[in-house]
Amino acid sequence: MAVNESLRVLRTTHYDEQHYSLFLSAGSIGPATRPGHFAMIQAGEGLRPYLRRAFSIADVTTVAGVPALEFVVKVVGVGTAALARFAEGTPLPVLGPLGVPFPIDDLLPTDRVALVAGGIGLAPLVLLARTLAARGIAADLFYGGRNENDILKRPEFERFLGSHRCRYATDDGSLGRRGLVTDLFTHALAGGARYRRAYACGPLPMFRALTRLLADAELEGSFAMESEMACGFGVCLGCVVPMADGRFATICKEGPCVAPSRIDWTRL
Amino acid sequence: MKVDLSTPFGRLRLKNPIGTASGTFGYGLEFAEYLDLAALGAISVKGLSRRPCHGNPPPRICETDAGMLNAIGLQNVGVDAFLADKLPELARLGATVIANVWGDTEDDYVAVVERIGADRRIAAIEMNVSCPNVVKGGMIFGNNPDALAGLVKRIRAATRHPLIVKLSPNVTDIVASARAAVDAGADALSLINTLVGLAIDIERREPKIGFTTGGLSGPAIRPVALRMVWEVRTALPKVPIFGMGGIETVEHVVEFLIAGANAVQIGTANFRDPSLAGRLVKELSVWCADHGVARVSDLVGTLKTRPRPDHFFS
Ligand SMILES: Cc1cc2nc3c(=O)[nH]c(=O)nc-3n(C[C@H](O)[C@H](O)[C@H](O)COP(=O)(O)OP(=O)(O)OC[C@H]3O[C@@H](n4cnc5c(N)ncnc54)[C@H](O)[C@@H]3O)c2cc1C
Ligand SMILES: Cc1cc2nc3c(=O)[nH]c(=O)nc-3n(C[C@H](O)[C@H](O)[C@H](O)COP(=O)(O)O)c2cc1C
Ligand code: FES
Repeated sequence: MAVNESLRVLRTTHYDEQHYSLFLSAGSIGPATRPGHFAMIQAGEGLRPYLRRAFSIADVTTVAGVPALEFVVKVVGVGTAALARFAEGTPLPVLGPLGVPFPIDDLLPTDRVALVAGGIGLAPLVLLARTLAARGIAADLFYGGRNENDILKRPEFERFLGSHRCRYATDDGSLGRRGLVTDLFTHALAGGARYRRAYACGPLPMFRALTRLLADAELEGSFAMESEMACGFGVCLGCVVPMADGRFATICKEGPCVAPSRIDWTRL
Repeated sequence: MKVDLSTPFGRLRLKNPIGTASGTFGYGLEFAEYLDLAALGAISVKGLSRRPCHGNPPPRICETDAGMLNAIGLQNVGVDAFLADKLPELARLGATVIANVWGDTEDDYVAVVERIGADRRIAAIEMNVSCPNVVKGGMIFGNNPDALAGLVKRIRAATRHPLIVKLSPNVTDIVASARAAVDAGADALSLINTLVGLAIDIERREPKIGFTTGGLSGPAIRPVALRMVWEVRTALPKVPIFGMGGIETVEHVVEFLIAGANAVQIGTANFRDPSLAGRLVKELSVWCADHGVARVSDLVGTLKTRPRPDHFFS
């Protein structure tokens, strides 16, 4: 059950010119949120941006004791730029929580899972890491970006998962290993790491490479996918991806969390 | 002041003049958690075809200034699945349902309306003769008054439901289309559908939409929609009209009524705010009370225009 409500800006934390965390009052969306859920946020009353924008609910937390939703945002255009500039207390229309969350209910305390993040794809993995930690399920993080500035929420991940379980890759080598996050993951698999499931979010090339890796390793995956969205709740049919069964599936309703084996990557 | 929102619409009497537009309201049920479906004047469901339709490959949508382009390609579950899986619940919730239908050929249209038959849970049939996003069909009927008349005649003969023809705005003379539809037996008209547009990713020199062109909707098209409603109302003073195109506020609703629409449909704005249509019903009542309008139908077609000089051509 999603809710259409007005949430107040509690705080905006800027990491650099391109990245920030937006904290909104949790409303009734907070308690209903599971890792992998997203929300549609209207950035202001005007016509630019016109449609709401989709953001993963990165965390359900508190700001100075007030229940809050955290969104981790990368500025790429008019909407993500506008959202960074609202004063504390500004009410913003929010629809959420939306979509199919990461499948985690079937995990056992003895299971070990992998979290794979590329760039801003860290967002849905924060609440996942928190939830897994609370349930005592071991998780290894593989997190890649262009450089050190792209690697966000490091203290949280290391607190939830243990710093020895967090591995980083950057294109320029400014943090962790130089190279791609999929290289890190390949390396771990080659070293004998075995996982019940890999949870991932990142850019399309990362998803493609990871899909092949998972298939070769006969490993189950759950990807938090992105697509341009007009509505976010399955009515515009704008956000579809081609599926292996020949259909087009809406990412907002049948996703965003989808098993990569269900997607037809050749037509995407 | 007690305001009467009830809206005579040909053989129908709508609870109020606020409806929702096909393709922007799913099958209605998706909105049940955000508003009371029974409180709306009517809901027009996603365009139904004879068989389920997968639609176009992505990307299907992009935002444009004050609006969006879409080329969904009329993806839908098909008329059978709609009647079996969606309509019973819509009826239970008390929604006034308009079945929006389309086909690639005349036979396809006929097959859909025959399948609907005399189902009393459907208040009216709305023919989409104007979808710009499928390679065949739709657009031919929308662009050519003779083809349109032929199609409407066949559908008219195939159904006893009130028949609404939804016109394409992608024509030079909207009145010619309107007349053709009404003369062929349409009970009412819906206007407008989306305007064909193009958006370009200049870095890649590619269209932003997979289908290349898409249908433009949202506030950007409102002045065009209003002009067309007014032209058709002026030419055909009696025909019931659903007006739509970029409606976002109660003032926009009133604008369309004054231009000559008997009722309106909310479209793309449902994506921005899924509760909007329900709120507009209440706001319309308040607006009328504040403006001393006892019956909302008294607003319809009340535009006061000045005579135009003979040499004025636009
Ligand atoms: C389920 C979901 C969860 C998301 N979670 C996050 C998140 O946690 N943090 C975050 O920073 N971003 C997230 N995104 C992406 C975010 O929605 C887009 O970055 C945003 O809509 C861009 O809006 P804009 O107005 O700034 O960009 P625009 O000016 O609209 O466009 C700028 C560029 O971004 C591309 N773009 C537009 N919309 C999307 C989209 N929905 N997905 C991918 N690319 C897009 C455009 O093609 C264009 O190249 C998520 C998207 C989805 C679908
Ligand atoms: C995503 C989308 C899908 C649509 N699908 C249909 C459809 O299936 N049948 C139809 O008759 N009109 C369809 N339309 C057109 C709308 O019903 C409406 O006529 C148009 O969008 C103008 O109104 P608006 O500006 O308020 O959206 C669609 C519009 C959009 C934006
Ligand atoms: S965003 Fe509208 S159907 Fe997915």
